[in-house]
Amino acid sequence: MIQLRNVSKTVQSGDHPLTILHPLDYTIQSGQFVAIVGPSGSGKSTLLGLLAGLDAPTTGQILIDGVDITTLTEDGLARLRGEKIGFVFQFFHLVPSLTAFENVLIPMEIAGRRDATARARQLVEEVGLSDRAHHYPSQLSGGEQQRIAIARALANDPPIVLADEPTGNLDSTSGRHIMDLLLNVRRSRASTLVLVTHDAELASLADTRLVLRDGRPVPQNETPRIVPAAEATR
Amino acid sequence: MSFVIRMALREIRASWQRLLFFFVCIAVGVASIVAIRSVIQSVRQGLTREARAMTGADVVVRSDRPLGDEIRAAVQRERATGRVGTVSEAVELVTMVRPEGVATTRMVELRAVESSFPLYGTMTLQDKPYAHDLLRDHGVLVRPELLAQLNLRVGDDLLIGAQRFQIRGVIQSEPGRNLGAFSLGSRVFIDLADLPSTGLLSFGSRASYQLLLQVPSPPPLPGRRDPSLVLATELSKTFVNDFIGVRSYRQNEGRMNQNLSRAENYLSLVGLVVLILGGIGVSSVTRVFVQQKVRSIAILKCVGSSSRQVLAIYLTQVVLLGLAGSALGVAIAAGVLQLLPLFVGNIAALLQVDYGLTVGAVLQGLAVGVLVSLLFSVVPLLEVRNVKPSLLLRQDIPSLPQFDWLKWTVATAVGAALVGVAAWQAGSVQVGLLLSAGFVALTFVLHLAGVALIRAVQPLRFARSFALRQAVLHVARPGNQTRIILLAVGLGTFFILGVRALQVNLLQDFSVQVGDDAPDMFLMDIQTGQRAGLTALIDRENGAENAPKLIPVLRARITAVRGRDVNLESYEDVRGRGGLSREFTITYRPQLEANEKLVDGKWWDATPAADTPEVSIEESLRNRFNIQIGDEMRFDVLGRIVTARVTSFREVDFRDFRAGGFMIVFRPGPFDNAPHNFIAAVRGGKDPVARARLQGLIVADYPNISVIDLREVLDTIKTIVDNVTLAVTVVGALVLLSGSLILIGAVSMTKFRRVYEAAILKTLGASSRLIATMLLLEYGVLGAIAGTVGAAGAIALSWAVARYGLDLPWQPAPFLTIGGIIVTAGAVAAIGVLASLDVLRHKPLSTLRAE
Repeated sequence: MIQLRNVSKTVQSGDHPLTILHPLDYTIQSGQFVAIVGPSGSGKSTLLGLLAGLDAPTTGQILIDGVDITTLTEDGLARLRGEKIGFVFQFFHLVPSLTAFENVLIPMEIAGRRDATARARQLVEEVGLSDRAHHYPSQLSGGEQQRIAIARALANDPPIVLADEPTGNLDSTSGRHIMDLLLNVRRSRASTLVLVTHDAELASLADTRLVLRDGRPVPQNETPRIVPAAEATR
Repeated sequence: MSFVIRMALREIRASWQRLLFFFVCIAVGVASIVAIRSVIQSVRQGLTREARAMTGADVVVRSDRPLGDEIRAAVQRERATGRVGTVSEAVELVTMVRPEGVATTRMVELRAVESSFPLYGTMTLQDKPYAHDLLRDHGVLVRPELLAQLNLRVGDDLLIGAQRFQIRGVIQSEPGRNLGAFSLGSRVFIDLADLPSTGLLSFGSRASYQLLLQVPSPPPLPGRRDPSLVLATELSKTFVNDFIGVRSYRQNEGRMNQNLSRAENYLSLVGLVVLILGGIGVSSVTRVFVQQKVRSIAILKCVGSSSRQVLAIYLTQVVLLGLAGSALGVAIAAGVLQLLPLFVGNIAALLQVDYGLTVGAVLQGLAVGVLVSLLFSVVPLLEVRNVKPSLLLRQDIPSLPQFDWLKWTVATAVGAALVGVAAWQAGSVQVGLLLSAGFVALTFVLHLAGVALIRAVQPLRFARSFALRQAVLHVARPGNQTRIILLAVGLGTFFILGVRALQVNLLQDFSVQVGDDAPDMFLMDIQTGQRAGLTALIDRENGAENAPKLIPVLRARITAVRGRDVNLESYEDVRGRGGLSREFTITYRPQLEANEKLVDGKWWDATPAADTPEVSIEESLRNRFNIQIGDEMRFDVLGRIVTARVTSFREVDFRDFRAGGFMIVFRPGPFDNAPHNFIAAVRGGKDPVARARLQGLIVADYPNISVIDLREVLDTIKTIVDNVTLAVTVVGALVLLSGSLILIGAVSMTKFRRVYEAAILKTLGASSRLIATMLLLEYGVLGAIAGTVGAAGAIALSWAVARYGLDLPWQPAPFLTIGGIIVTAGAVAAIGVLASLDVLRHKPLSTLRAE
């Protein structure tokens, strides 16, 4: 379970403070699929980054399985991500100097798993890229890179998968592929899935939607058709 | 841990090409350290093994005067007690030899020995085994070069002094010949019994009289001093005031070892300087490297690795590459050592040395190489701690820079460690500190000069040429590796130009000395009775207008100043102090010479001294020993005690030695009737045939006279200067090589930025040619700045060394300086453009899309 208590984020922009995310209370149950939607600059990615402990909130607490991650050190957060969270980025973010296979391997090596190699092979197969495993990221298409990134996110069997517009940088066919993969993963592993997206179709598949605008949650009933608005701002 | 090592290896696989140049720098530095240390350590091992043979005895008793009865009696007493075994007597002197009937002469270092020679080591002849019988009854052994010079063969006759000798063999190697000692001529051996017949041991001749002692060695016991050391110490104490030197081979060995280990440490500092330069390159590449790796580091942190793990990955990578670079350096050193015997043939003849890598040198090289790589990269690598994984989500608004305690602590520790490494390599904390301080100062000055020059070219930003404007902008742009290139190339230029400028100054000064009208031949050991005949002979040959000037010389020691005895503890002390108690060559004359300037007191008139002898002292002696006008000084002039009053001080220009350079000059009078010698400066002229003829005639009539041919001496000095210059130029070239490597590395590290810029410029309509011109100008400007900084440093260096070190008038070397700057600019421009060829080749669209 993920609980947000009064979580906000303010950064210094030039000489005046800029609040990206206003204080927010929110709870995500284990196994839930939550879609975070909203126009660009509404604070979606910031919120997701805070959930992953990639950044620290200005105020409030974030509890993952009862542990307040805002009290963890940088290295404690890294350990938490290694164990509990898989993250999928819009821009894939594979390590360019490592092969696809090695990119999948590293989270397990960091965690010190003995079955790392076998499991990496299995994961690569699962995302359908066994024949491309020893290529470097620059030799893979966007869709293929994202599939490797998903395999990497799943490496340590995390109970929580966070995805930041995973299809936002792909053509529609590849995008659909990736989405199927993610939903499949969620079904087969019963993991919590938090997805930031612009895609109305995708968002409609979620158990719950959290709509943000200018860093504040928008009550659901007031914005029945949020998606076209979001599309319009792109 | 295995994750760290695996990641480090993967990282190396991806980026070794970009880091290659810097680790080649490490390799060059390590190679110089390992090669230098290995060679000197090998020579040392050889020396230790052969120490006794090198000295030729266990104990050597040596004096400049014939050995008196007392010392002979003392040695006999020791023989009776069994502390001394065989005793062998020898005399060494410098003299002239010539074939009969031919007007060619050569100066040689003659050694007269007894049948018991050599006590240790072996004398090797080219064609037959050595036996003393070869020398008996006027036989002589010579070096092959003398045969060649005089066009003689074994069996021919050779005139030494007044005596005819027969050449009976050719020396290949001899024991006891000092390595690297300055030699006045090639070696000849005769029988000691034949020496008197040459007439060379006349009054005042400069010979070294020796007793070579063999000390029977009892089985060595722990804690007992070597018997030869004990004996040498006792004998030198007994004969402390007789100017007899007594040395054990152990002392020689110790001294040589000390000199060699100092040489080893100092020379390997050269390697350290190259290595530190490489380290500076490593530091700058690491900084850029971390910048380029920020995203990968963020990803690693995002998938769960701690800062410490990431730091460990990159430190491991540096250590592995440092180790690889050092290993490459060791391999290079091994290759150099393989080639070495080709260059040191003549040394090999004197001492059997196996030139190979020594374990100690290899370990030191590896350790220093890895240490320098690590020390120079750790501070920039600490930046990985500050990489936040959130930058994967959005470009972070940079947080305010905070004072990073850890970074400064580590940087301070690294600085201290580097001083430690320098001190370790130099074998002295003081030298280590000095080197570090010098390096910091030089870096600082180069940096300041670079900043000033970059600012000075800024007005070119408004130049009409687009390419030039861009080039100047690029040079001043932050992160353009400008500083590192300036430092590396500037240092290389500084070393090479500095040494060349010094060489030009030195050689110019020497060539001034031998003008056509200047005396270029010195005659030594002219006896009083030979003056008239010799003058007549030279007048006949050279014309009366070139009459030689005969200068009386005596040899004297100062025994007291102002009534205070100059007390001599031992012979060693005298040598050590090199001061008052050493023997001076003195003269007397009524006038000041052209190379002298009166600085204090009053010069005497032409009349001889009345009652108290008067003396004039050279300025440097006065300062060193605090002598004042009116002081009484006591001299021992060949056994006669003379007390004289100091009436003046002179400054002598010793470089102009036509009238001789004398520290001590007496007013005529006290020595008029004392037996003494003369020297003469003669004009031999440029024509080598005429010179040889004159020398031949002089030596034929007056065999005891030695002729020193100044032109030959100058040739020798020129060769030495050339060799030293070559050695330092090699050092400069090494530094320049590292500089070029750093340059190539710096260019290729920042290439990604240029590729992007070039793509944008191409999109905006710039041709490849324009971009090439921009690059050429950018690196040309940079090279010109580096060259100017280096050349300015070189001028300062050569001026300071000429003025304060060598006391020479300094002359600028404009062609060298300007040529150096142009060559540097051209080379940097060429390397810069060649290393950026990719920038020109890339198609703009692919580059822009990738970004």
